[in-house]
Amino acid sequence: MTNIKIKSKNLNVYYGDKQALFDVNLDLNEKEVTALIGPSGCGKSTFIRCINRMNDVIDICKVTGNIEMDGMNINDKDLDVVSLRERVGMVFQKPNPFPKSIYDNISYGPKIHGKGETKSELDQIVENSLKKSALWEEVKDRLDEPGTSLSGGQQQRLCIARAISVNPEVILMDEPCSALDPIATAKIEELIDELKKTYTIVIVTHSMAQAVRVSQKTGFFHLGKLIEVGKTEKIFKNPNNKMTQDYITGRFG
Amino acid sequence: MSNEHTVKSYEEELQFLKDSLIKMGSLTESQLSDAMDAVIKVDKDSIDKIIKSDEEINKFRSKIDTQIMNLLVKRAPMAIDLRETISSLKISQDLERIGDLSKSNAKKVKPLPLDLPDELLGNLKRLGELVMKQLNDVLDSYVNKNFDKAKEVWEKDEQVDDLTHIAMESVIDFLSKDKKNLDFSTHLIFATKNLERAGDHITNIAETVCYLVKGEYLKGSRPKGKVIQE
Repeated sequence: MTNIKIKSKNLNVYYGDKQALFDVNLDLNEKEVTALIGPSGCGKSTFIRCINRMNDVIDICKVTGNIEMDGMNINDKDLDVVSLRERVGMVFQKPNPFPKSIYDNISYGPKIHGKGETKSELDQIVENSLKKSALWEEVKDRLDEPGTSLSGGQQQRLCIARAISVNPEVILMDEPCSALDPIATAKIEELIDELKKTYTIVIVTHSMAQAVRVSQKTGFFHLGKLIEVGKTEKIFKNPNNKMTQDYITGRFG
Repeated sequence: MSNEHTVKSYEEELQFLKDSLIKMGSLTESQLSDAMDAVIKVDKDSIDKIIKSDEEINKFRSKIDTQIMNLLVKRAPMAIDLRETISSLKISQDLERIGDLSKSNAKKVKPLPLDLPDELLGNLKRLGELVMKQLNDVLDSYVNKNFDKAKEVWEKDEQVDDLTHIAMESVIDFLSKDKKNLDFSTHLIFATKNLERAGDHITNIAETVCYLVKGEYLKGSRPKGKVIQE
C-alpha cells in the first residue's frame, strides 16, 4: 500500500502579478521517485520549492492553496521553516558544496540541527552519509580536503550526502545531473534507485530518458499547470493528453 | 501547436521508416498474389521471378532494421514515436515471413502436373484470395491508423482457418482416390498450410496496428477456426 507523503491541493503561486502555478493538485508517494518534466518556465521548480518553502526567500512570491506533508500544512505561517528543511532536503542543478572540507560539508547540517553531539557521533554520520551517497570509497582518505576539489559528479554526490546527513524524509532534486557527464549521471541515477528505499524523492529533469529510468510517477507541467500525471511507464508509452505526447516526443517545448 | 517534430530530420527519419514499411508491404502483397497465381495456374515460368522478389523483401527488412536502430540510438523515441518504431520492427518481421511463405509456395509449383482438376484448386484459390484481402486490409489499417479495421482483420482470421480446413480436405479427398497423387498432393497441402500461416502473420500485424494506435494490446484470444482447434 502506497502512502501519500506530500499532497498539494489547488496550489497557486504568484511572483508579483505573474501567476507561476495554477491550481496544482499533485500527490507524491512515499518512498517513490516522482519526476517532474516540462519546458523551461513551466513551474516544475516553483512546485518543488513550495515543498521546502524555498519561495519564502522571494519577497514578491505569494502562495495560496494547500500543500501538506503527512497531513501537516507546509504553508502554515507558524511552521518552523528550519525544521521543515531538515525534513526536506534539496539538491540543485549545479553542485554547490560549501567552501569547506569534505568532512565539514557533511557535518555542518547535523551540527546546526543539534545532531551528533560528540566527535565520534559526527564521524559516524559523515561516514554513513558518504556511504549512502556512494562517495565514501572515493574520499575516505581525503576528508580534510576542500569539497570543491572534487570532480563535478563527486561534488554532486557530496551535496546529496550533505542533504541526507540530517536524515530527511524527502529529497528534492532540481536537475541534479544537468551539469554532469554520462558516467557521473549514471552514478547519481543508481544512487537515486538506492535512496528511494529510504526517502521520498522528487526530481525535476529535462531528460525524458532519465525520467523513465529513475521515476515511478511522472508529472508534466506546462505554463504553470499540471497537465498530466501518472505512472511513468504510461506517460512515456501512451500518455492520455495530446500536449504531453507532443512534449515528450519533441514536437514542442 | 504543430504536430511536427521540432527537429525536422527526426520527422523525416520517421517518415522514411513508414515509407519503407509501406513499400515492403506492397512488395509482399504482389509476391503473395504472384505466388498464388503461379500455384493456381501451375505457371512454372514465374517461379524464378517470385524467388527473386523475396530477395527484395529481405533487403527491405535489413534496411528497416537499420533505420530502426538509428532512430533508437539517435532519437530515443517516446510515446507514439516509440510505438511507431517498435511496430515497424514487428510488422517488417511478419512481412518478411509472409514473403518466405510465398517463396515456398512458388517452389511448390515445380513438381505440380499441368492438368490439375479445377475442383482441387477452387478452394485453394478462395483461400488465397481471402489471405490476399486480409493482407491488403491490414496494410490499409496500418497506413490509416485504423484500429477498427485492424481488429476486423484479426477477427476474420477465423475464416482463413475454416477455409484452410476445407482446402485441406479437398486435397486429402483427391489423394485418397489415387495413391499416385501422393507426391504433388503433399505439395498442395504444404501450400495450403503456408497460406494459413501467412494468415497468422497478418493477424500479428493486425495486433501490432491495434497496439500502435491505442497503446494497448487487444484483450482476449482471437476467434479460432476449425483448423486450429483440431
